[in-house]
Amino acid sequence: MASVESSTEFTSSLTVSSNLPPPRTRIFKIIVIGDSGVGKTCLTYRFCAGKFPEKTEATIGVDFREKLIDIDGETIKVQLWDTAGQERFRKSMVQHYYRNVHAVVFVYDVTSAASFRSLPAWIEECKQHALGQEVPRILVGNKCDLLNSVQVGTDLAQQFADAHSMPLFETSAKNPGSGDGGSRGSSDHVEAIFMTVAHKLKSQKPLILSQPPGGVLAGDTVTLRRGRNDSEEKESWACSC
Amino acid sequence: MKKSRSVGASSPLNGIGRQDGDSRRKRKVAEISQALNVTPVDVAVLRRMAISEGGLLTDEIRCKVWPWLLNVPTDTLPEEPEAVERENNKDYNQVLLDVQRSLRRFPPGMPDEQREGLQEELIDIILRVLGRNTQLHYYQGYHDIVVTFLLVLGERLATALVEKLSTHHLRDFMDPTMDNTKHILNYLMPIIERVNPEVHDFMQQAEVGTIFALSWLITWFGHVLSDFRHVVRLYDFFLACHPLMPIYFAAVIVLYREDEVLDCECDMASVHHLLSQIPQDLPYETLISRAGDLFVQFPPSELAREAAQQYSQHSSSLTLINCHPSLRTAASTFKDFDLASEQQRPDSVLRRRRREKQALDGASAGAVVATAQPTAARRLVRLAVMGLTVALGAAALTLVNTALEWAPKLDLQLFP
Ligand SMILES: Nc1nc2c(ncn2[C@@H]2O[C@H](COP(=O)(O)OP(=O)(O)OP(=O)(O)O)[C@@H](O)[C@H]2O)c(=O)[nH]1
Ligand SMILES: [Mg+2]
Repeated sequence: MASVESSTEFTSSLTVSSNLPPPRTRIFKIIVIGDSGVGKTCLTYRFCAGKFPEKTEATIGVDFREKLIDIDGETIKVQLWDTAGQERFRKSMVQHYYRNVHAVVFVYDVTSAASFRSLPAWIEECKQHALGQEVPRILVGNKCDLLNSVQVGTDLAQQFADAHSMPLFETSAKNPGSGDGGSRGSSDHVEAIFMTVAHKLKSQKPLILSQPPGGVLAGDTVTLRRGRNDSEEKESWACSC
Repeated sequence: MKKSRSVGASSPLNGIGRQDGDSRRKRKVAEISQALNVTPVDVAVLRRMAISEGGLLTDEIRCKVWPWLLNVPTDTLPEEPEAVERENNKDYNQVLLDVQRSLRRFPPGMPDEQREGLQEELIDIILRVLGRNTQLHYYQGYHDIVVTFLLVLGERLATALVEKLSTHHLRDFMDPTMDNTKHILNYLMPIIERVNPEVHDFMQQAEVGTIFALSWLITWFGHVLSDFRHVVRLYDFFLACHPLMPIYFAAVIVLYREDEVLDCECDMASVHHLLSQIPQDLPYETLISRAGDLFVQFPPSELAREAAQQYSQHSSSLTLINCHPSLRTAASTFKDFDLASEQQRPDSVLRRRRREKQALDGASAGAVVATAQPTAARRLVRLAVMGLTVALGAAALTLVNTALEWAPKLDLQLFP
């Protein structure tokens, strides 16, 4: 094996966790999309394995990663579908994996204006697979550690997120503590983002709930670093934090 | 796994002693150099050597033989490959991103400086081939194939061979869209069904799809195998065979893991995850000969119809398959061997149809098993013969003949 960050490592973390769940573990299926190179593989790896992969490779098709989490005493399996960014894979290949998705994570690279400009196309792509606003969607700006190369400012991104009714998160898969909130970075921000999605999903599940969203989230321990311009939408979305 | 081994070709090669192996190896080296030294060069023998146990043995031999397998004359190659324009190149950014992330493809001990030099060459080869063939479109994973050629052959030869490969074996992957790639993936399930209907049905029920095999197919396994020796061994095999052989090999890997598959939870995520992680200790020689057997038993012509049906089901289109433009392209890619033999065997299509109808009508597990049996029985009988003949070279010869019919001729334009 040439690399520490080999795919077998994903397996081992999976094997450990898949021994644990009781028969009825709920599964949240989240698809992660965005241009090639924005860091989808790094983000999903960071969440599932708890660290930044030293060597990633181009994702061909779809990779799958999962992690067991605990929300209010319930063990939930979060499945992340890490998709290929190159356009040719979108149309005919990744299609199959949009089925039964519970949430969508759009990723752009804060150091690449082009990756930000592609977002409308990705959103459109999702709509075509019947994943519209009723499915929880979030926007993630990655690579915030590269302070000197930022091309997409928070304000612009926030405007876009508001226009599409999505909460915005800025983060770094590489160095979660960095970025303009510098000193705050004690906890794993990437983890907090995915946890927020999971909370949202848990609160939303029609099976358990006729309660208003938010009620279930009380006692939540996840802390989030917020963008400068937290919108109403984001407030309501991540209100328990 | 035990089960699959006993069903498959029990290769006598696995039991051979070391000395025996050494002398076989020497004999093989001698045979190869003899085939290279006769005029005209005996390409049929070279193909057989590339397929049979151990493949072409060393990179030194590969440098001499691969060009013949692809019919690329090496004496007329330019000394210096032409320079490449990187500025304003539409593919440069993506290629750069992929090559930068391809660290694992280089030998672990290689000094950084040397690796970086090779990465530059890798970018140049890719951009050069794309620049000269504007009908070809870069895909992520193409770099995994090119790096293999670069490491074995060096930049000059690699450029020439990759160009030939890209306009032939890889041609369908390099279309503007991946429709044809998807069509080729549709051969996977019919092959699995012929050999093990239970695994097939399980996978269908899990709705796992075929994307787990996408990177296998379009990188010829270069993306997923970490031991370079295994990768080049497979390339020997694929270069000597029909361009659909990688999909047979993919099927063989799934079938080899049948017990694991059937033990898996029957849902898309679990099965996808299991299958997309290739075990690194596969018995390559056994699997190669099994893939050869399957190719002989269930040639693409026999599977073409089903593969196309899957396609039309997927796109839930009622249009006649033949009217689908992308399918026409795919078919024309393989027309040399596909269509001709399909017309010779209308009975196989009819039989197949009847079986499907019965299965539908019966709708019980019993009916499905009963109708599947003739295939299984026939397979066992033939495998008993084939398992031996591959080692002896007879089945390999069949492959060679198929490959020869197809072999890229310099004057033959497969893709006008
Ligand atoms: N500085 C920095 N680099 C990052 C970060 N996240 C990812 N990268 C780098 O960006 C490059 C691309 O990351 P990947 O995770 O492979 O990108 P991807 O979105 O999965 O790309 P595709 O698989 O091609 O679609 C790699 O070289 C990573 O090391 C980050 O937070 N900070
Ligand atoms: Mg990726």
